[in-house]
Amino acid sequence: MTTIRRFCCNDLLRFASVNLDHLTETFNMSFYMTYLARWPDYFHVAEGPGSRVMGYIMGKVEGQGESWHGHVTAVSVAPEYRRQQLAKKLMNLLEEISDKIDKAYFVDLFVRASNTPAIKMYEKLGYVIYRRVLRYYSGEEDGLDMRKALSRDVEKKSIIPLKRPITPDELEYD
Amino acid sequence: MASKFGLAGGIPERRVRPVWDAIDSRQFKNALKLSTALLAKFPNSPYALALKALILERMGKPDEALSVCLSAKELLYKNDSILMDDLTLSTLQIAFQRLDHLDLATSCYEYACGKFPTNLELMMGLFNCYVREYSFVKQQQTAIKMYKLVGEERFLLWAVCSIQLQVFCGNGGEKLLLLAEGLLKKHVASHSLHEPEALIVYLSVLEQQAKYGDALEILSGKLGSLLMIEVDRLRIQGRLLARAGDYTAAASIFQKILELSPDDWECFLHYLGCLLEDDSSWVNGVLNDPIAPPKFLDCKLSHLPDEMFDSRISDASAFMQKLQADTSDNTIRCPYLANLEVERRKHLYGKGDDDKLMEALMQYFFRFGHLACFTTDVEVFVEILTPDKKTEFLEKLMKSSESPSPVPAKALGQSITLLKVQQLISKMYKLSESELEGSACQMVETYCKNLPLSKDLDPQESMYGEELLSMVCNVLVQVIEFVQFKERLQHSNQYLMARVEAPILQLKQNADNIEEEECVLESLKYGIHFIELSNEIGSKSLTFNEDLPSRPWWTPTSEKNYLLGPFEGISYYPREDMTKDREANIRRVIERKSLLPRMVYLSIQSASALLKENIKVNGSVSGPKISSDLKFLLERYAKLLGFSFSNAIEVVVGVSGGQKPSSTIASDLIDWLNFAVFLNAWNLSSHEIAQPDGNGHGHRPGAWHIVDSLLEMYVLEKVRSMDPQICSPCVDLPILVQLVTEPLAWHVLVLQSSVRSSLPSGKKKKKGGSDQPNTPLSHAIRDSIQSVCGTVEHVTKWLREQINRPEDENLETILSFLHKKGQNEGGPGQVFKILETSVSSINETQLGERISQAVKAWSPVDVARKIVTGKCTVASKFLKICESKLKSLHAMKQQIAQV
Repeated sequence: MTTIRRFCCNDLLRFASVNLDHLTETFNMSFYMTYLARWPDYFHVAEGPGSRVMGYIMGKVEGQGESWHGHVTAVSVAPEYRRQQLAKKLMNLLEEISDKIDKAYFVDLFVRASNTPAIKMYEKLGYVIYRRVLRYYSGEEDGLDMRKALSRDVEKKSIIPLKRPITPDELEYD
Repeated sequence: MASKFGLAGGIPERRVRPVWDAIDSRQFKNALKLSTALLAKFPNSPYALALKALILERMGKPDEALSVCLSAKELLYKNDSILMDDLTLSTLQIAFQRLDHLDLATSCYEYACGKFPTNLELMMGLFNCYVREYSFVKQQQTAIKMYKLVGEERFLLWAVCSIQLQVFCGNGGEKLLLLAEGLLKKHVASHSLHEPEALIVYLSVLEQQAKYGDALEILSGKLGSLLMIEVDRLRIQGRLLARAGDYTAAASIFQKILELSPDDWECFLHYLGCLLEDDSSWVNGVLNDPIAPPKFLDCKLSHLPDEMFDSRISDASAFMQKLQADTSDNTIRCPYLANLEVERRKHLYGKGDDDKLMEALMQYFFRFGHLACFTTDVEVFVEILTPDKKTEFLEKLMKSSESPSPVPAKALGQSITLLKVQQLISKMYKLSESELEGSACQMVETYCKNLPLSKDLDPQESMYGEELLSMVCNVLVQVIEFVQFKERLQHSNQYLMARVEAPILQLKQNADNIEEEECVLESLKYGIHFIELSNEIGSKSLTFNEDLPSRPWWTPTSEKNYLLGPFEGISYYPREDMTKDREANIRRVIERKSLLPRMVYLSIQSASALLKENIKVNGSVSGPKISSDLKFLLERYAKLLGFSFSNAIEVVVGVSGGQKPSSTIASDLIDWLNFAVFLNAWNLSSHEIAQPDGNGHGHRPGAWHIVDSLLEMYVLEKVRSMDPQICSPCVDLPILVQLVTEPLAWHVLVLQSSVRSSLPSGKKKKKGGSDQPNTPLSHAIRDSIQSVCGTVEHVTKWLREQINRPEDENLETILSFLHKKGQNEGGPGQVFKILETSVSSINETQLGERISQAVKAWSPVDVARKIVTGKCTVASKFLKICESKLKSLHAMKQQIAQV
């Protein structure tokens, strides 16, 4: 039971229920507002009955040439709305926007190497592990860079996995 | 620009990079060193200066930073040959902004744009400056200039948005919107539009003028294809139609959306609203509180005639039936919940049928009762039921739970839901204590029993039934947008509170040394500004941005700790009227708090003026003026406490003398003691309080005595109430800390000030004998110092005892507390015991290794140990504060002994 609409500033004051989770990072206001201002298309909230915030997704589109891609910065669902495929809906929306509106080649995201349920979910949604980024999270835990090719990348070149892991300073984008 | 040739602001890139690297890694000292070296090479580079200013600001040296900024600005203006690149200006802009001088940054850009009128990069910088200053008109003018220069769509949109902002913020009429529309029309005719955002802006300009027909025409035309997500386009179309009053067409659009995405609840509400020709969701959209939207969708009683209402409702029901039949996806809930909304509308129309609603609720439970969101889904519908019907609903749920779902995880989910519904309809609070404890135990047992279900889950998935544990706790205690958003934040009560609290904290931290305190006061302009702030509060609209519903109802607030009970009448969420009270209360608190800095200042002055009578203080405020100012503030303070000045004096005199019970002022204790402290200070220069003890002295030791005995009385009372410290929840500790760091600290300041002025200072030697008239006062001061010393020493002694108690002894106290309660069949100890038993009787094969390890790690001793350590840390910090207070008191004792 979901109305997915664009995220707006006031939602920042009421999405705490979604972010109160040990695996979810909460950033400062300006971080969210930068995303809102620069990529409003990539920031959506799912609302349930009684205007409850069920979850949200935020992301961006960046890169040059064949690495022009959508990026999922955060996707998070409140505990009481889990196991209902809400994350899937939000991810599909972002993929659709990257594919149809921005004509990106692929969508990517970073996930903690230890977060098996999330990795499994992304795999179910069609993502593959493209490469491992050593000590990506606070210099401790490795991150996995996962990708899904979009229609513009006909030969699916963007998702051929790299053979070796890379370090965070080799990353092209922040 | 210059940077293209490897130059940054006229300086080779390779020389600048290390400075930025140092700044980015927050090594400001190193950065400063590098930038000084850079400046030696390029002494006339505004860019190098701007960098230095930026570093100085980050190092906490705003004054130096500002002067460096200003010399950079001067260089820019003076020397025409100097580069005016965006890098220099934007660096300078950052520094100015951090120094709170947006205006100076703007004038730099204005100057640069004046010199290079066709430089787009600089103009964009200027536009951003105006955005930061909220000068919408100038924003618009700059954007138009850029648009004329290069004809790009985005600059036109910037201009249009600037116009919309002017209109939204009340500084521009409808004519401006016409201008915006005209600009867009012309651009569309010659260039069309290319970005979806552009179309949305275009439509919103039309919508703002209520030109719904025009907007619809554009949306259905060629431009409409810019919106590539069909549902998005349909939503706008539906909204425009509904706003235009064409409900039939709007309803069919919303119907289309529902066919595409059958789980869109908001869309269903729009659909139903349009069928019933209810315009409330289109009209008052703006009035609703966006942070805590009403749980009920506001709807008007339908004005439709009976038959039409019936036929529309049955249309809706039939459509929902169809949706239910069409969707195979069993996670889709909207078409089912829709039945409940239909019943609710009937109810509003006066055709409600409680039994049908109940039946619909039960149907929804059979289908979705195992989901964690069931209770929140149905909350608004359960609210409609009468108390009796609510109980009936609960009974039905219980009955159905006798034959639970054959899937164990579902059955668990259903039983959790049952308990949640129980909490929702406040059943819990009517139960007796033992029943409550029984149900808590039952929950914990269910949790333990169901642990095996989680065996196959991944470590990071939440376990089935995890919520049970948190519920146990509940039982046992019982763009345009951006501007509007910024206003909301600035009106925030917390922001205001923080603004007031910051200087008070500064005052507290420096309260031990009167000279330092005076410096702080000076930097606060002697608190005058805060008085103004306090004056404004009444008229200000404050916003309350807390997200209350996301916290458990027992979250302690600054006014009330719900954990202490009584639990009568507490609903699951803070009720509306409670929220109102709370808001009014916060207003009063801020008003009172913002008077503090000035009162502290005046009190110090009053105490020192007393002894150097008629000497001008600080060359500005003279004795009588201080006295009258302070009196004025005291009167206000008293009024904010709900008393007249004279009544308030009676209260403090009465309480300190024991004629009134000490509980009289217990609710606003800190404020009352502050009042007494400032009252005494005021009395030093006004001598107005009559003397009941009639000892005939000119200055009234009585006022000193009031303060001393009040401080002593309450501090000792708080210390007593917390013995033994570790067992109790320690609710009084923060109050005790506040007592010592606020009223007591202010009083010590008054004492310091009195002592200081009675001491012979270096140049002005006191003539012999001039001390004579002040002798009774000196006595009073001496006594007061003695008394405050005693009070603080008492606290210190108690703290030392607490800190020095062996850790194990403290642990024992906490644990025995739990065990003791557990033995007599009641109390939290019972739940505790169940957990303990389950830890000792783990069946590893049944649970799998991971969970059994996790359960074993649940060690009560460790938790208790953490609590004890935390408390000791707090106690030692507090002890340090007390010790430093004592030190200054002893120093004073010595000083006054010399007089």
